[in-house]
Amino acid sequence: MKAVLLALLFPPLALAAPATVIRAVDLKQAPASDAATVAALAEQSGVEVLERKGGWTRVRTAAGAEGWLRMLALRYAATGDAKQGDSGIVQLLNVARTGTSGTQVATGVRGLDPEQLRNAKPNAAELKRLQDYRASPDAAAAFAERGRLQPKQVAYPKEGG
Amino acid sequence: MRHAATLLAALALAAPAQAQFNINLNRLLDAGKNVRQAAGEIDEKEEIELGGDVAARLLGAAPLVPNAALQTYVNRVGRWLASQTERPNLPWQFGVLDAPQVNAFATPGGHIFVTRGLLARMKNEAELAGVLAHEIAHVLKKHHLKAIQKNAQLELAGTALSLSRRTEDADKRAKLLAAGSELYLRGLDKSDELEADRLGVVIAARGGYDAYGLPAVLQTLQAMNPEDSGLALMFKTHPAPAERLDALERLQPVLDAHAAQPQLAERFVGAVSGR
Repeated sequence: MKAVLLALLFPPLALAAPATVIRAVDLKQAPASDAATVAALAEQSGVEVLERKGGWTRVRTAAGAEGWLRMLALRYAATGDAKQGDSGIVQLLNVARTGTSGTQVATGVRGLDPEQLRNAKPNAAELKRLQDYRASPDAAAAFAERGRLQPKQVAYPKEGG
Repeated sequence: MRHAATLLAALALAAPAQAQFNINLNRLLDAGKNVRQAAGEIDEKEEIELGGDVAARLLGAAPLVPNAALQTYVNRVGRWLASQTERPNLPWQFGVLDAPQVNAFATPGGHIFVTRGLLARMKNEAELAGVLAHEIAHVLKKHHLKAIQKNAQLELAGTALSLSRRTEDADKRAKLLAAGSELYLRGLDKSDELEADRLGVVIAARGGYDAYGLPAVLQTLQAMNPEDSGLALMFKTHPAPAERLDALERLQPVLDAHAAQPQLAERFVGAVSGR
């Protein structure tokens, strides 16, 4: 079961997505600017994406070289399945939902397509539920601490960067 | 606009006190109030009420995912981020909408939604934080509120001039609500979206998360097929992911300073899969 879950959580798409580099970049041995250069990639070179670590992404080149480059130097090719499919964690969410409240047969009737939004009637009961789920600042702070999240002072950037 | 309201009210008071005119007086005062509200004097209480009305409409299109643990989890992440901002005392509330489409929404006053479809494509809590922080930024900057007011103002200018038309409280509220709902189909100005991206990565960093969460989600969206029907509305109402990533590149020093912070993949996967 665990293996199935893992397979669902990390679908192949996330493991080897095709992408191109938007400018000439050096492929690094480690996720750091001062790491040794493995290869120099020309602008628009195609790569396969393997994993991300902070602002760095590990890729494999067409020639088979592996290394790290700046995450923001990558743009992905749109290769996903064109149909609106339930895969990965979507599937798990469905499983989790069926477990708690039975099945919802009426999928496709409600949803957030433009027509569905335009025709929607206010749902006061759901608004009440939304309010009931609110977390207090204290509960949120305790939750952050459990995740070892440390609050930081960071200034907003100026307009345009 | 405030002058127009005063002028209308003065005209109404000058009218003879006949029954018919009393009704007109009320209408005029109503119109005056409309103009006042439309002119940017909506207070925080009204902002929250209007946002609640719009949120109820979104919830009418897609209810919450019936999973209390998941909703609580998303509220904790969101509330923690909101606490790091200049509007910590709004009644912040976060919900996962039971819709397969990939999207996220904010309504005035601190109502924030992410769809089941978008949540399913995230890999960790830092990515969720990036998306929620983007939506929080819309509320902080009152992007939707200002756009709704602007739309309603155009409409109300007509109302104020055609005095024979019935204007009641319900009409007024419905008009603002209609302007609000329409906005979610048309989208905000591109500059508002890019501003929310810039502020969003900073808010996520303040919360102690890996600041690359939002850019990572944008790359995921970019890798999806744009023909996917679940993406249609989001792509129609937002700048293309590539353009948003280009704009975020200018923030690389800020992003890098907070890139080593936690991503919390395990906690995220546990909450989303119900384990």
